[in-house]
Amino acid sequence: MRWACILLTRLALDGVQRGRDDADAPLVLVSGHVPRRLIRAVNAQARALGLRPGMSLTAAQTLVTDFAVAEYDEQQISHWQHFLAAWAYRYSSHVSLDYPHALLLEVESSLGLFGPWPRFEQRLREDLTGLGFQHRIVLAPNPAAARALTNVHDGLAVMDSLALREHIQRLPIQRSGLDAQSVATLSRMGLKQLGQILRLPRDTLARRFPAEVLAHLDRLLGVLPVALGSYQPADEFVARIEFNFEVDSHQALLFPIRRLLLDLQAFLAGRDCSVQRFELTLEHRDHEPTCLPIGLLSAERDAQQLFEVTRSRLEQLQLPEPVLAVRLRASDLPAFTPKPVSLLEERPPPVQPWDQLRERLRARLGDEAIHGLVAVADHRPECAWRRDTEGAGMPPAQLGKRPGWLLAEPEPLNELVPEILAGPERIESGWWDGADRRRDYYVVRTRDGRLAWVWQAVDGQGPWMLHGWFA
Amino acid sequence: MTADYAELHCLSNFSFQRGASSADELFARARQHGYQALAITDECTLAGIVRAWEASKAHGIPLIVGSEMQVESGPRLVLLAEDKTGYQRLCQLITNARRRTEKGSYQLLRDDLETDTSGLLALWLPEPEPDPQHGEWLRTRFDQRLWLAVELHHGPDDAQRLEQLLGLVRQLEIPAVASGDVHMHARGRRALQDTLTAIRHHCTLEEAGHRLFPNGERHLRPLQQLARLYPPALLQATVEIARRCRFDLGDLKYQYPRELVPADHTPSSWLRHLTEEGIAWRWPQGISSELRAQLDKELTLISELEYESYFLTVHDIVRFARGQGILCQGRGSAANSAVCFALGITEIDPARSNLLFERFLSRERNEPPDIDVDFEHERREEVIQYIFNRYGRRRAALAAVVSSYHAAGAIRDVGKALGLPPDQVDALARCCNRWSDRIPDAQRLREAGFDPDSPVLHRVLTLCGQLIGFPRHLSQHPGGFVISEQPLDTLVPVENAAMEDRTVIQWDKDDLDAVGLLKVDVLALGMLTALRRCFDLVRHYRGRELTLATIPAGDEPTYSMISQADTIGVFQIESRAQMSMLPRLRPRRFYDLVIEVAIVRPGPIQGDMVHPYLRRRNGEEEVSYPSPALKKVLERTLGVPLFQEQVMEIAIVAAGYSAGEADQLRRSMAAWKRKGGLEPHRDKLTQGMLERGYTREFAERLFEQIKGFGDYGFPESHAASFALLTYASSWLKCHEPAAFACALINSWPMGFYSPDQILQDARRHGIETWPVDVRYSDWDCTLEHDRKGEYGIRLGLRMIRGFREDDAHRLVATRQRQGFTSVEELALRSQLSRRAMELLADAGALRGLAGHRHQARWAVAGVQEPLPLFTEAPTQAEQGVALPLPSIGENLMADYALVGTTMGPHPLRLLRSQLKARGCRSSKQLKQMKDNTYVKVAGLVTGRQRPGTASGVTFVTLEDEHGMINVVVWRTLAERQRKELVHSQLLQVQGKLEHKEGIRHLIASRLTDLTPMLQGLDTRSRDFH
Repeated sequence: MRWACILLTRLALDGVQRGRDDADAPLVLVSGHVPRRLIRAVNAQARALGLRPGMSLTAAQTLVTDFAVAEYDEQQISHWQHFLAAWAYRYSSHVSLDYPHALLLEVESSLGLFGPWPRFEQRLREDLTGLGFQHRIVLAPNPAAARALTNVHDGLAVMDSLALREHIQRLPIQRSGLDAQSVATLSRMGLKQLGQILRLPRDTLARRFPAEVLAHLDRLLGVLPVALGSYQPADEFVARIEFNFEVDSHQALLFPIRRLLLDLQAFLAGRDCSVQRFELTLEHRDHEPTCLPIGLLSAERDAQQLFEVTRSRLEQLQLPEPVLAVRLRASDLPAFTPKPVSLLEERPPPVQPWDQLRERLRARLGDEAIHGLVAVADHRPECAWRRDTEGAGMPPAQLGKRPGWLLAEPEPLNELVPEILAGPERIESGWWDGADRRRDYYVVRTRDGRLAWVWQAVDGQGPWMLHGWFA
Repeated sequence: MTADYAELHCLSNFSFQRGASSADELFARARQHGYQALAITDECTLAGIVRAWEASKAHGIPLIVGSEMQVESGPRLVLLAEDKTGYQRLCQLITNARRRTEKGSYQLLRDDLETDTSGLLALWLPEPEPDPQHGEWLRTRFDQRLWLAVELHHGPDDAQRLEQLLGLVRQLEIPAVASGDVHMHARGRRALQDTLTAIRHHCTLEEAGHRLFPNGERHLRPLQQLARLYPPALLQATVEIARRCRFDLGDLKYQYPRELVPADHTPSSWLRHLTEEGIAWRWPQGISSELRAQLDKELTLISELEYESYFLTVHDIVRFARGQGILCQGRGSAANSAVCFALGITEIDPARSNLLFERFLSRERNEPPDIDVDFEHERREEVIQYIFNRYGRRRAALAAVVSSYHAAGAIRDVGKALGLPPDQVDALARCCNRWSDRIPDAQRLREAGFDPDSPVLHRVLTLCGQLIGFPRHLSQHPGGFVISEQPLDTLVPVENAAMEDRTVIQWDKDDLDAVGLLKVDVLALGMLTALRRCFDLVRHYRGRELTLATIPAGDEPTYSMISQADTIGVFQIESRAQMSMLPRLRPRRFYDLVIEVAIVRPGPIQGDMVHPYLRRRNGEEEVSYPSPALKKVLERTLGVPLFQEQVMEIAIVAAGYSAGEADQLRRSMAAWKRKGGLEPHRDKLTQGMLERGYTREFAERLFEQIKGFGDYGFPESHAASFALLTYASSWLKCHEPAAFACALINSWPMGFYSPDQILQDARRHGIETWPVDVRYSDWDCTLEHDRKGEYGIRLGLRMIRGFREDDAHRLVATRQRQGFTSVEELALRSQLSRRAMELLADAGALRGLAGHRHQARWAVAGVQEPLPLFTEAPTQAEQGVALPLPSIGENLMADYALVGTTMGPHPLRLLRSQLKARGCRSSKQLKQMKDNTYVKVAGLVTGRQRPGTASGVTFVTLEDEHGMINVVVWRTLAERQRKELVHSQLLQVQGKLEHKEGIRHLIASRLTDLTPMLQGLDTRSRDFH
């Protein structure tokens, strides 16, 4: 067996920097809560300014004022590690994520395809550089040794156990991958390299250190085998159809899309799941790809239904350029729950269920057109509710006597002195977002006998403004 | 014709995070509107009532004392004190409700109101849907003393609400009254009030939603508006209630505890008796007639002002401390008297100083006597517990300190409420100077990358401007006790402090003064601990009994040591600023020390009094006085005012202040930053002095000095007591240097220097030091004889970072009982954990048992838990291994990491040849060099200070193997080389040496970071603050 370890030396930074266009600007990653924000990583430009990991953000800001700050996000780091694992999977069927900030590849079996090693290694490096990830690579007969040796080497290839022993003996204890406690104890004994430890009688070590220490040494030397978890590619559906010609009408797109959706249905059926949203990407020659996210308010897996929705969305679309390929990607795949069907009912109910109606309305009128309402705790009537696209809204809480629906904009009331039934209810609120309201609201009866909700400025000056009608 | 009105439900900003106006603003506005009276009804607290009382007197509107409270699963109500009984009931209710819960909250039970509530009037604050049962219950509790409060604030339908409440009133047969639920003095505070609400709920304004009030009606409204809202009868009722409330805070009468005086004595005769006893103790050979006259004069004055009980109280506390062997020393206006010396409150022999008692306690200035007593910092708790035990918790409590919003805190809270991201809030808050009460200026904000003109920032800053100075919470005074004859909760509510087993009253020091309560300050001082330890060491090793009072006075070698600034470890005059003053001032007698202690302070520095004084003292300038009248005031300081007392006397003598006005000035001095109020004095002082023929320049300078005193008021009376400790510690350093250094280290943390610096200083004075060693070390550092028979210092186990005291005591006990010959025996017999043993190994303390550190660590790792029954059986033998010998560098690093100091060579000595190659001079060579030479030096950075008094200058202290080097870094260089300045542990400085009057400073022109040369040496630096 041969194992390549790719140590991602700046995984967090590289991940963040991919999303930024200011590669030359000093950047630090921080974690922790204000005011104890700690710098976890710095790029070369920031390092040149004297910023270091372990420094508090406050200290850094007293030192330098102009640098970018981003969050050190464990989740992001894990995301990028998985991203790279997916990349590595094409070079080896056994990719392991067991070591943080590193990828372990079993390469013995891939050498035939990509080898010899120097060429293989070159390929890995080119890919990684292209993707924007700094790295160190070491090849060794076992994964533990490969990982430990990346701490001090880059480009090392250890081919046999004799050479391995040699390299392991020279490994500094601090960087040998032993636990911090044992490292501290060993260095307090004046020991600096693994070789010094390996020369000590084994029983004296066993008496003084946890069993894990000897086990780690054995693993490094390949005496004890290492069992590594194996990376499995993510559960998602991705499929792409490339055309031999340029497609410039919606109609001509429908057929291939239907095929993709049928594939998706088969995929979903195979896993007994359904799809909540998917993404259709239309690729063009020069123009940026057109991306069409399609969200469903409830999970589906019926290809016909999916097609209906997709078609109506597609019809509203203006194609900027002819299409060369379509790609469908579905990653939000909840488990399938069958629609309840009455035992005795043979025919489907004649009325279209609300879910479907909603979907169709949305598909026809656009995502914006259909929404729920939620109440917002705000004294200003026009801020007391807002649109909500996710799920069903809650009815607004009633505060005093208010109309169920407000005019989009208050308009002048065409009456000089309406008949006041209640009020004034004074509202003075909202100064903090620049929309301070100071109004006295009244319930009035207009000349034609309707009940209206009107307001006047708090100072009693200005016109009567109509804000809503009572039903 | 509008109706009369009294507001009966009004919160001040002492309802923390609710009230948005100060009592002063409220009373001023109430007067403007022509209110008959104003009740301050802060929620379950009377913390703001003294301020309200003062505001009420200032604006001429009667104060009604009350409080708003929520009864648990019961109604919300306002209680108003009708008379003194009612006030006492209110204090007790609040105390009960507060003592039940943790600091900052309260719990009022229905049962609390089932007791006698006579003297209290109640307003029921009904819910939106009132519960008639609440009303009925209250009616039985407050028969003929209950009203339903009708509070209309332009809600959805006020007319309907009024009707609903009036219906309830008829149903329950109780009267109704109008009130305002006032949260602010004017509508303009609406934004601040909303912000406070958000702060209280720990959310942003946007999230606060309906927790905010819908409008700004909860302010003091003009009478016409009220007349439009309420039926006349409801307004009339307010005035009737106000008329019934006759209680005035001035009616409170404080009484000293009585038990200190035996039955057959009066306080006066008992004080005289104790003083006579003290005379016999202090002056066994009798006293001079002069001293007798002085004592008589003091006793007469004390009697006249009726302060006997105060002196007796302090005496009792000091007597307890002395009985326990706790060293203490009084200071303050009355402390440095012959009576206090006789009573043992101070150790300053009146014969030794030329201090006048009248200067400190005067007939004319009607200020209460003020005695602060410092105790050993490690044993003050015993004294506090004694006071609680002696008087009981109902009669003794700590005074409160009202913490108020400073700029940074205000920005943090307001910024958060306005939804700024945390990083931005933090950056914005850091634009404020520490403790500053001013919002940062536009320039500063732009530098930090903010746009001061953006609307959001504008809102933040405006609100902060309003919030700064608002009380934020109550905390406990560091040691100010209030002790009274009656239970305290009949005077003022008592609540829990954050510290367990501590109770605080709801008033702070200023409030106490206003109401005439006396407090005794029981403070902690590290130097007293060190001095007591040093006395113990001297007694133990030399058999010589020393006390603060019996240390030989006027000792020539001591003064010459001080004059050479050889004062590391000495009380007060060990800081760098003090040290640079000493060779110029060259103290020769006790009073010089009093001046030295007081002169290096913001007051004299800002008032530019230091240099004139030095010039006059050194004969470079003629001693003159602004006028013959001021000669008397200023003679002792050569015509230059240095002390707070002198400033007050000048105000009286030169600006025509009355004694009372001078006292006002003193209070304003202490509080001007918080409350302002000093500016009127500027005009008044200048005017008064010009009228009496003084120059404008003198007046201006005096005023600057007064402002400086505000930061660090330093009165002569305190300086005198401190000077005594300065002298005592100097004497010990001079004559018992080993014991003194040993005591300092054992009392650490305290003072200005680390144990490492103290030990280096000791070694430079030829004192031998020995490392920590399990064969010889105790927990504390101890003294041992060196080969010449002199005492040296053996480091104690306490020096090992992380080593536990009880482990050390077990180790020492084992050593004395049966001893140990191996690491294994030590570990097993002393029951030391693996961790403790590792610390000993790493610290090098096992050298006698296991050899060097590496070998020791190996041995410790090999210690095995014995099997039961075979405790002393030897564990199996194993083959020995040879581990590498630690290098000098490794030993050094381990020494610093574990013990914080090294007995081996100083790191700079190891680096000296390299440094020499770079052209660096040592601090020793620097001493031979002339003024104005350019040099290059290097040293460990042990201090970086940026004092507020020196604008933009950073003082860096470097240490090498021979001593310290003082470096001055000007602002421009500091900005240019900030990185080097802030981060270097080993710093190379090129610059110009200034050498004048025995003081050497290096004015830096270039900094180089040499830290990599240290390879991770653990030197701890005192950083900016």
